[in-house]
Amino acid sequence: MSKNLVELIRRHHEQDAPTALEVLKEAIDAHGTITDDDRREASRRSGLPEATVYGVSTFYDDLLQPRGERHVRVCTGTACFAATGDAHVDALRDGFGVALGERREDGVVSLAETVCLGFCHSAPAVRDGDVIDAGPGVVTRVLEDRARAADEPAPASLLEEPVLTLPGDWSGLRATLASGTTPEQLLEAVKEADVRGRGGAGFPAGQKWGFARSAQGERKFIVANGDEGDPGSYIDKGLMERSPALLLEGMALAGYAVGADHGFVLCRSEYPLSKPALEQAAAQARAEGLLGADVLGSGFSFDVSIVEGAGSYVVGEETALLACLQGLRGTVSARPPFPAQSGVHGMPTVVNNVETLCNIPFIAREGAEAYRALSPGATPGSKLVCFNDRFVHPGTYEVPFGMTVRELCEDVAGGLIEGRAIKALQIGGPLGGILPASQLDTVFDFAQLAVVGCMVGHGGIVAFDDTTNMRDVARHLLHFGASESCGKCFPCRIGMRRGYEAFAADAPVDRANLEALLETLELGSLCAHGGGMPAPIRSLIAHFPDELGLA
Amino acid sequence: MSTTPTTFTATIDGSTGEFAPGTTILEAARVLQATIPTLCFDERQDPFGACRVCLVGVQGAPGPLPACTTPLRDGMVVDTREPTARRVAGAVVELVLSELPEPPAEHTELAAVAREFDVTSSRWPGKQHEPRPEPRHPYLTLRHELCISCGRCVRACDEVQGTFALTAIGRGFEANIVAGLDEGFKASACVSCGACADTCPTGAITELSLLLLDGPEPAHRPEPATR
Repeated sequence: MSKNLVELIRRHHEQDAPTALEVLKEAIDAHGTITDDDRREASRRSGLPEATVYGVSTFYDDLLQPRGERHVRVCTGTACFAATGDAHVDALRDGFGVALGERREDGVVSLAETVCLGFCHSAPAVRDGDVIDAGPGVVTRVLEDRARAADEPAPASLLEEPVLTLPGDWSGLRATLASGTTPEQLLEAVKEADVRGRGGAGFPAGQKWGFARSAQGERKFIVANGDEGDPGSYIDKGLMERSPALLLEGMALAGYAVGADHGFVLCRSEYPLSKPALEQAAAQARAEGLLGADVLGSGFSFDVSIVEGAGSYVVGEETALLACLQGLRGTVSARPPFPAQSGVHGMPTVVNNVETLCNIPFIAREGAEAYRALSPGATPGSKLVCFNDRFVHPGTYEVPFGMTVRELCEDVAGGLIEGRAIKALQIGGPLGGILPASQLDTVFDFAQLAVVGCMVGHGGIVAFDDTTNMRDVARHLLHFGASESCGKCFPCRIGMRRGYEAFAADAPVDRANLEALLETLELGSLCAHGGGMPAPIRSLIAHFPDELGLA
Repeated sequence: MSTTPTTFTATIDGSTGEFAPGTTILEAARVLQATIPTLCFDERQDPFGACRVCLVGVQGAPGPLPACTTPLRDGMVVDTREPTARRVAGAVVELVLSELPEPPAEHTELAAVAREFDVTSSRWPGKQHEPRPEPRHPYLTLRHELCISCGRCVRACDEVQGTFALTAIGRGFEANIVAGLDEGFKASACVSCGACADTCPTGAITELSLLLLDGPEPAHRPEPATR
């Protein structure tokens, strides 16, 4: 990330200037397109150079096209693909008579792809304006201009005392401040609890906090990564919209431990309800003295800002997230420096996933030992998992680590609908390996899943039933990979495109060339997007070689 | 308690030297005269880590590491010819050639790197960048189709010149660069300093005077004054 631009942004932020991305989002929301005058205005108000603003305006999905009077976004996430094989996309395109990414000539409607709306429990999903409709009949309703907001199942917990499916009551922060627990003691408790990051990488949260705490900086920041871009996952969506106070409390506790006085939540624009829910919870917390200056008379000050993204999967990577948060193009930066040394405005910053932070209030209230006891003999704590609409009981569930994948799929989610059999599962997002039905007895935990080339990841579990063509799965995943590549590192920028082209062509895929391409992506890429995409493709090669059309 | 040593010892391709903490593998390699090819690196700019052509083998590391952005650790042993690192870096060069509608001109850095890896074609042919010449400036010309998104011109304009007339645009395979609001150098904040053309490794941005040198020699060209 350009040091000069970040310094410009810091100085303008001190003057309450909006970011360039915020101004551009306002423009397209106001008049459906972005003109050069809008860009000049964004440059003037944000303080960023015009060229930089231009670059931002060409990066994010939300800013890319002129919108019709109705802007319809069709979900092309993995759960929607698993439900229809993309038939819903074709039906909308044909029904509206407009190509994806275009505005119809009469200006009435524009159609865009979006990945993913987080309605995997009722696929396929379509967003018409800010209304998200999903499930059977959705295409007809949207074509007839009578979309209705789809229901979302309430999360459930398998634990005796739920940890993550509660709305949040600030009792962890109250207990910490009332008992005189020092920041060092809280940091030690989080380290002892061994909280592993729930966003994909599984990095120990306490260690990250420790780096940021000992880093030098005028100010420090906490950033909640709410850019849950993994198709098939709607876990953080549920937390941000149903338990926003729990997240804000976790951020405040992180701020207390690290010595930060401000936090940012970056939530996805694909979840239009998240930002309002978080802002409402923050306003209520301020009114109750739980956020702001001198929290509960303790002398500790902490407040939050809620920022919305603009459509980009790679922004879930922490350096790209920081770029987006500051209104820049959401591209990845090489580390070091790590965010703990140089993050928001160049200051030491903790970036934790939403679910990770939601674990903290329990630890602050009950202690590390109680937390570790939640999953005896496995990864400490509990995990939220969610299932796609192929299951009988799709939804979000809080589970202990250590159950088998079969128990999760059959006992918790009730097996598949229509008596279908599981052909394979993708666990943890698009960069997670694919587990064939023959390996359902694998234990759901970091180490055991890694043995079979899979990961806990975000915790989304997408079932492909026995009607799924696995070459289509490979093409679907590589299409996602190529269109979401941020374009920074060469292996991902070009290689992902080449992988997609190989599977999109009506021709056999040369296996040796494919393996070499996967090696180049895996070992050469700058971040986990290019580095991780080979995992599911390798699983498909290993378990379904005959279906892939390899030569 | 251990303290950070004031100097690090590192060995690259069998040569050992002492370096200050914070030195990257690439910086150390250049001191020790080990050759590591690069495309997105320019020593006048902060390392960027995009091209991955500088991958090297590091003893004990699980996979190849980019030399330009990896700081040395004390006792690090680096092998710039490690087979996996070279194989992956060479494959990246193949990918780069596959996106260009024509081979890089002989005098460019990209052509030199391709020679270094002995890459002349690609196992992964596919979509190439569409020709889009931009001749709206008296001294600078931009051929978008030769851009490999290494970011050197954008960083030269930011870090060296402080003009911010250039930006990366798009994402994924469609990434490229433009001046100002995609209005060409002349209408943008460009001050015609030529830092972008100077650093461009593919000839996507060139100074027109250099282009003319490729053409027939002007009849009135003066003879050199002395020999």
